Amino acid sequence: MVDSIDKAREEFFSEAQEIIETFSRNLLALDAAISEGVKDPTLVNEAFRAVHTLKGLAGLFGAVAMGTLSHHLEDLLDELRLGRAELTRTVLDLLFGAIDVFGKILAAERSGSEAMPPGLDELVGRLRELGGSVAPEAGMVTDYELDPGMLAVLTEYEEHRLRSNLEQGLRLYRLHVKFDLATLDKALEEIKDRAKRHGEIITYLPTGESSSIETIELDLLMASHDDLSILIGALASDRIIVEEIERKPLVPAAFSSRTHPPVVPESVLSVPSGHPRPGEEAADLALVSPDRSLRSLTQTVRVDIRKLDRLMNIVGELAIVRNVLSRIAERVRAEGQPQISSELLRVHRNFERRLTEMQDGILEVRMVPLGQVFERLSRVVRQISRELDKEIRFVITGSETEIDKLIVEELSDPLMHMIRNSIDHGIEDTAERARVGKPAAGTIALNAFQKGNHVVIEIEDDGRGIDENALMQKALRLGKIDLTDREQLSREEVLSLIFLPGVSTRERADDVSGRGVGMDVVKTNIGHLGGVIDVQSEPGIGTKMTITLPITLAIVSALLVRVGEQVFAIPLNSVSEALAFDGRGVRVVDGRELMGLRGQSLPLCRLARVLGLPDDSTSGRKFVVVATVGTRRLGILVDYLIGQQDIVIKPLGKTLAEVRGFSGATELGDQNVGLVLDPGALIEEVLLSGESVREKGLRAHG
Amino acid sequence: MANLTRVERRGHLRRAAAAGPIREFLTFTLSVDLYAVELTTIREIVSPPPVTHVPRAPHDVLGVCSVRGVLVTVVDLRKRLRAPAPPSSSRTRILLSETRSGEVVGLLVDEVRQVIRLGAGEIEPVAAVLGGDISAHVLGIGRPDNDPIILLDLNSIIGV
Repeated sequence: MVDSIDKAREEFFSEAQEIIETFSRNLLALDAAISEGVKDPTLVNEAFRAVHTLKGLAGLFGAVAMGTLSHHLEDLLDELRLGRAELTRTVLDLLFGAIDVFGKILAAERSGSEAMPPGLDELVGRLRELGGSVAPEAGMVTDYELDPGMLAVLTEYEEHRLRSNLEQGLRLYRLHVKFDLATLDKALEEIKDRAKRHGEIITYLPTGESSSIETIELDLLMASHDDLSILIGALASDRIIVEEIERKPLVPAAFSSRTHPPVVPESVLSVPSGHPRPGEEAADLALVSPDRSLRSLTQTVRVDIRKLDRLMNIVGELAIVRNVLSRIAERVRAEGQPQISSELLRVHRNFERRLTEMQDGILEVRMVPLGQVFERLSRVVRQISRELDKEIRFVITGSETEIDKLIVEELSDPLMHMIRNSIDHGIEDTAERARVGKPAAGTIALNAFQKGNHVVIEIEDDGRGIDENALMQKALRLGKIDLTDREQLSREEVLSLIFLPGVSTRERADDVSGRGVGMDVVKTNIGHLGGVIDVQSEPGIGTKMTITLPITLAIVSALLVRVGEQVFAIPLNSVSEALAFDGRGVRVVDGRELMGLRGQSLPLCRLARVLGLPDDSTSGRKFVVVATVGTRRLGILVDYLIGQQDIVIKPLGKTLAEVRGFSGATELGDQNVGLVLDPGALIEEVLLSGESVREKGLRAHG
Repeated sequence: MANLTRVERRGHLRRAAAAGPIREFLTFTLSVDLYAVELTTIREIVSPPPVTHVPRAPHDVLGVCSVRGVLVTVVDLRKRLRAPAPPSSSRTRILLSETRSGEVVGLLVDEVRQVIRLGAGEIEPVAAVLGGDISAHVLGIGRPDNDPIILLDLNSIIGV
């Protein structure tokens, strides 16, 4: 019982969260519309609907604070959508403020706190003040051949929309549609969507005349600036009939006498014709098929990600069973029973195929579009740009790119810090931009795309770029580099100094970035997700940060290698090739070992040496695994290649949090555990903060 | 197991004499000394599975192992407490305990002995007896019989 209550509460939280996110999305769209000088009544209405739903939900769960806030928001939004109050920037700021307060309320509810979150009272007070009043419009509605039955059931809002559309000289149309009950919601959404380009659907009512219990017929009232012929071309089909509603003086015909689609066979059930009120209609439907009307029309379920983790763990265990099975098959064949062996192998192959399907299925469920986190970021951009009085054009592309849910959750903080940095330090203030001839609005572009088994996220601004000299000065002062480095460091190396602790943080704290979280923390967080971050910058032109992340953390194919006695796994998504190594053709440059590979130099990392393992130099032949992460490559030198295996990576515990170079551990199937190498971290270690710089640093400082 | 039951019964008899609330401790040996941790902090006692060495790990972390699919960080309690190292034997066990952060930590001990019950009055404060590194990790000293038992504070050692 307690469980089901908890479960219901969990549902409540995730549903409330979703609604608040929808609300936030609506506000962002409204914000954009205002910037373009467009009024979009449907957006205001959607925001109203979201808050209305939230209020109902809060009532259901006794969430008082949330109920109070929703109630007052609802009032204000109602005024707005009825045109009684005007949607100004100030009002919008207030609405955005509500989202933050909702966040606090949710957090408080979750922790079971009874206290009203700070800011609630003030916000409610200001919401109350804003309920302005504009005299309701006088209508010309009666001039039209509208069915009084339909007019009578229009809500206040719908009536307002009808009037204001008529005032703008739009024409009225009636769409008679026939939809399947099962897909009604979707079909309605679809037609609303299509109609949007031509006008606005004001209301829809069931006609009560249905040819079968599987379908429902509706009349949609639409206002449009287009001609009938255009609308017919755009919307009509065998299920949708478009008619114009004439002004009274022209055709003295009643709404109810319109022609019906000729298709209709004799109705199976005799539903009375005419225009019943919605309440009666619902009652009729309920009589027809009670189960149908109660059934939810959505086909989605919400799942706790931990449940998927458990399933994934089981898949991991099954993969081990599969490996055992294949070993048994090998053994049986070696013992001279080829027939049984081949039967076993067939079972094994079948098992493997199904397992792969299951794995793919679970992975697919875990995937969510990056849009979720990008939307939250737009809010941040809006807020910061207003605080700093900088005009920002925030351009998002690729928000449909999918990535593991867990990664998405961990991404929002690092991305937020980077964007804050871009606005605060990257984008110049308006005066300076005018002086250097840049457009007044600074642009921040957030772009995501999939690249093989990785997802790449780029954050690019058109600001002043990173001051390499200042960066170097700071690094010198902090003792991260010495004077000789100063001449030797490449441009890329200088820019990457920004990721060292203390370098990117300010001497002096401020409101926006604070002294705050430096880029070193951002980098560490990205690193924990198995990703890498690169920076490019041109003085005066802008800065581009590129994050490369694995698509999923749940299960990966890995190459198993042996170094000395120990087995390590290297995720295959960062392995580009593996080759035999005989020690020839290795040069030492600046303390680093390089080997030639097809005309290019490949930095080498002797794993045994780097990890401080006993070097098994007696076995002459070794192997080089070429790891590629982002744009960087590294040759990892190992003793032996064991083979490929799918592994479930389990993170190392907190006790081992300081240990660099591993992304976790995995079971190898014989009760043994293997460590999973983190190629990104190794590359980092060897290439950048690598041996040469560190050795020099040691000499210089100590 | 029989061992545990017998001792528990003896502890039961002792309870009348003890002052304050009774706490249960699991005793084990490290080298020649007798130690104990509060029983409620221990989730399970297992025979050591193969432990994988983790390069670059702190010196008192033996490595990681897997117990029925759960990754365990194995801490060599001897090294953490700076006790002398004896050879490991067939009686070596790993005590599994879960930390606040959700990490499962395994404590490698030489031999698990028994469960004892101690009242608050039977636990001597530690400052008088011990000095140095270990005292921060010690709750007190118990003397159910004549041999002193060092009561370890797992919270301070691994953060349970």
